[in-house]
Amino acid sequence: MDYLVKVEAVSRRFPLDHSYVSALDDASLRVSAGEFLAIAGPSGSGKSTLLNLMGCIDKPTSGRIVLDGQDTSALKPARLTALRREKIGFVFQTFNLIPVFTASENVEYPLLVQGVGASERGKRAAAALESVGLLSRAGQRPDLLSGGERQRVAVARAIVHRPALVLADEPTANLDTHNATQLIDLMRDLNRSLGLTFIFSTHDQRLLEHTPRIVRLCDGRVVEDTQRQEVSHG
Amino acid sequence: MGKFLLLAFRNVFRNRRRTIMTLFMVSGGVAGLLLAGGYFAHMINGLREDTISNGLGHIQIFTTEHFRRDEVHVLDTGIDNWQRVAATVKTVSHVRGVAPRIEFYGMVSNGQKSSIFMGSAVDPDAERSLGFTTDVSSGNNLDSRPGGEVEAIIGAGLAKSMNVGVGDGLTLLSVTSDGALNGVDVQIAGIVTTGVAEMDARYLRITLNSAQRLLQSDRITNLVVGLDTTANTDAVYAALIPRLNGLPQQMTLKKWIDLATYYKQVRTLFNGIFLFMGLIVFFMVLMSSVNTLLMTMFERTREIGAMLAMGTPRAWIVALFMTEAVLIGVLGAVAGVVVGNLLGVLINISGLHMPPPPGYTVNIPFLVEHVPSLMIGSSLLVIVSLAFASILPAVRASRLQIAEALAHV
Repeated sequence: MDYLVKVEAVSRRFPLDHSYVSALDDASLRVSAGEFLAIAGPSGSGKSTLLNLMGCIDKPTSGRIVLDGQDTSALKPARLTALRREKIGFVFQTFNLIPVFTASENVEYPLLVQGVGASERGKRAAAALESVGLLSRAGQRPDLLSGGERQRVAVARAIVHRPALVLADEPTANLDTHNATQLIDLMRDLNRSLGLTFIFSTHDQRLLEHTPRIVRLCDGRVVEDTQRQEVSHG
Repeated sequence: MGKFLLLAFRNVFRNRRRTIMTLFMVSGGVAGLLLAGGYFAHMINGLREDTISNGLGHIQIFTTEHFRRDEVHVLDTGIDNWQRVAATVKTVSHVRGVAPRIEFYGMVSNGQKSSIFMGSAVDPDAERSLGFTTDVSSGNNLDSRPGGEVEAIIGAGLAKSMNVGVGDGLTLLSVTSDGALNGVDVQIAGIVTTGVAEMDARYLRITLNSAQRLLQSDRITNLVVGLDTTANTDAVYAALIPRLNGLPQQMTLKKWIDLATYYKQVRTLFNGIFLFMGLIVFFMVLMSSVNTLLMTMFERTREIGAMLAMGTPRAWIVALFMTEAVLIGVLGAVAGVVVGNLLGVLINISGLHMPPPPGYTVNIPFLVEHVPSLMIGSSLLVIVSLAFASILPAVRASRLQIAEALAHV
């Protein structure tokens, strides 16, 4: 079976004084296209490290990660940049929207980097904003949006170029429970409607209720990989 | 590209107070350079035109022999039949006129005391027609009326040394073209203050006819050619050379710049001072901008990390920071040009004067010229300075480790 992401015996150690600290230890994971997967675990369990490695913004100390058939550890930096640009969408914990751009311009950004023309960018950004329910706020700058709205703009930015994989590192950490639940539901809807693969990390157990697959990490190790039937909501 | 420039432009105004401070410094540097350069340009251009109109002319014609050897007797390398040469010169367009000159020297005496003079003899009408005015501080200028006593104008320093004034008599002694000693009595028509103390102490001027009588020769030392504008010097020079080739005597032409030694020294001095000022402004803008741009980079670390995570090429980050710096440079330069010109206008209408420079005796009007090339040069200087200043922050930003940048607090 072809997997979108294959994490094979990956370890990541960081130097600390004259020693090192192991953030991820011999982790393995396989993710198929179209999955909606949560990486769960307490703070310091290695969730962000695993997402960074899958997102090609960090390199494993050992092991390998295959993304869409490409061994990322064998790729040169320029190719990794292109891979991120074309195949991955990111949602960050602190939104990381460009403050001088409007919501629409922020959503256009990945297309701008890809060299898509202005009119096409505008159309696709509007569609992405509509899909997250924020088309009416397209002209607002991030400082005029609420936390929930900013994160939804970030989600629109992550999906606008139809990446193979969307990675969301603690996307709800700066949101209240209501907005957090809404955001996870939104991502799930987009996963279903667009067929995009979502992997998000969280330490909030309440957000895992409607997640079909949960990978639990503890001290850098995968301790549980649960696949379950979803409960449909009326 | 448009969106990228828009991003850079908006980033410039993210921290308005800091940007305004930077713009203030950049525009101040440009305005300062414009005022200093404009003043220097006024001084240099004024000196150039003064040098030309004080009698140097735009082009001078000598016999080639004049430069080959020293004269044994006065005027033995001079121009024969100068009227024919002058007529040939006048056929060239842009030539306003030609003035014959004799340069000579000798002793001047008041009967009790003698002194050396550096004399020049001129045709007053020709000089006047070319605007080669001699500003007499008292008395009158020379005129061409024939007969009567030989008139002379002398420098204020020489008049003081000889203890004479307008209307007083002096005796001039010089060696003739045959090597004999000759003398004439002159009456002082006017006294001149050239502005240069050393020249005032030796200055003496008489008419061409009087000098030819004193020196016993029909020759002249040189012809001074006046043009409509200084800008035509090269063109007229090129046109004159073939026309003078057919004359019995071989002629050599000198442009005003070849003869204006003092002007060239002053220009070199001012250029050196201005270059030094430009370097100071360049490094002032460079050092302060590096600090500002580094602060900007640190503030935007997480944002840059996100941009890199989204696949932004590192070269784009370098280009973004450099574009922002260049935009600040352009805005600062525009503001500096506006402010510099406005201040220049204010200074020009204020009627200020500067103390006389070394060797001069009169105050210099403090006027500032508006020089387009100076505006462009000063603007480019600060823009390049800011572009240089942005290299370190831009490269640092582009080399950020993405995961670390995203975790930056």
